[in-house]
Amino acid sequence: MMTIIGREMSKSEKARWRNRISKVKKVIGQEKDLQAIIEGLLYIAGEDGLKIEQIMMAIDSNHDEVSKLLRAIREKYSQKTSGIELVTFASRYKFVTKDFIYPYAVKLLDTAKPQTLSQSALETLAIIAYKQPITRVEIEELRGVSSEMMLRKLLSRGLIKESGRSSAPGRPILYEVTDEFMDSFKLDDLKELPELPEYENEQEDLFD
Amino acid sequence: MAFNLTTEKFEGPLDLMLHLIREQKLDIFDLDMEALTDQYLAYLNKMEELHLEIESEYLLELAILIEYKSKKLLPKDEKDEGLQVEDPKELLVQRLLEYQKYKEASYKLNDNYISRQEIFSKSPSYEDYLEKDSDENKIEGNPNDLFKAMNRMLRKMQLSKPINTSFANKEISIDDRILEIKAQMVDLSATFNFNDLVTDVGSISEYIITFLAILDLIKDHILLFSIDDMDNIYLKKAGFN
Repeated sequence: MMTIIGREMSKSEKARWRNRISKVKKVIGQEKDLQAIIEGLLYIAGEDGLKIEQIMMAIDSNHDEVSKLLRAIREKYSQKTSGIELVTFASRYKFVTKDFIYPYAVKLLDTAKPQTLSQSALETLAIIAYKQPITRVEIEELRGVSSEMMLRKLLSRGLIKESGRSSAPGRPILYEVTDEFMDSFKLDDLKELPELPEYENEQEDLFD
Repeated sequence: MAFNLTTEKFEGPLDLMLHLIREQKLDIFDLDMEALTDQYLAYLNKMEELHLEIESEYLLELAILIEYKSKKLLPKDEKDEGLQVEDPKELLVQRLLEYQKYKEASYKLNDNYISRQEIFSKSPSYEDYLEKDSDENKIEGNPNDLFKAMNRMLRKMQLSKPINTSFANKEISIDDRILEIKAQMVDLSATFNFNDLVTDVGSISEYIITFLAILDLIKDHILLFSIDDMDNIYLKKAGFN
């Protein structure tokens, strides 16, 4: 499916773009220039970021080639002389400022105040992220406290969403984290979650 | 009157138990249930002395602890021994360890959350190129969306503000602003953008007063609101369908 972020392209639009792109390709048609095109597209997309598929469509290229080009861009911006870098959160590539810019940004914006999440919100999110999809009752068993209000808060902040119903009696609602959660916690994939600590009962070994 | 409030904020009974285990240097793998129960009870008593509300979850866990203690006091019934599948002590230890895992993971997640807010991206550049929402009569949204949209708008305004400015604040009350908006509304179409109301507004405080004014108007059903993907707040005069 061809889309310009969030909107499907009409047939004539698709044709027009393909035509224009092939012209561009004919004129320059080199890898380095495709890299520049992607860079420009990423700049346009800003905080929305771009999925690899969107870039593939826009430059009429395949997954491997686009991945390679993205790696090259990432490499280019990882240089010390660059103040922005390419990151991937929730499978979306986007340009962000490097962390060492922050102290200066604070001076510039003078009131920039970071948002915070309460410890109970973080615990609830951690449980959902590691065990999703998960029901409210399962979350409450793990936390030992009622979590209905917390789930409602997280839903309205867009950090979690409902994802169908469990087959357990009463068919309770299942919850999972959203792309917004992934972005807010700098995750590309849930596999990137920090490994859960394992507490082993060392004494048990003595009896084995 | 001096009183000694050393109560930390606990996220629940399991969090409290973990704290007590650490404080009393108990071995979590070979848990001294009696010591834990005593400490737990002492803590709840102290909370009661301080007239702090004890949530029911704490009492539920207390009941489990006390049940365990009372069973220990009774002579063991040989016949029951074989039937006992799950040791409540083991069960509690498992729950504590499991809870501790997620508690620790949440600290790491918080580091990510904080550092994420220290890197910035810019707004997408294509907003003006996308077709305007043709279905302008669709009026829906929840208060949280409104709040988020307002926040983003303020942030945008912050960014467009010159770094060094000083201006005299012209104080205007919300009621006065409501009257102004009502006057402005006469010249506006049935559905209009929040930005239409603030074209001549220069300060954050006036922005906020305008926002508070429209909240009032929404509450009084004079206006309806909707928010699109670009955080535009659309307002609609109620009664125009």
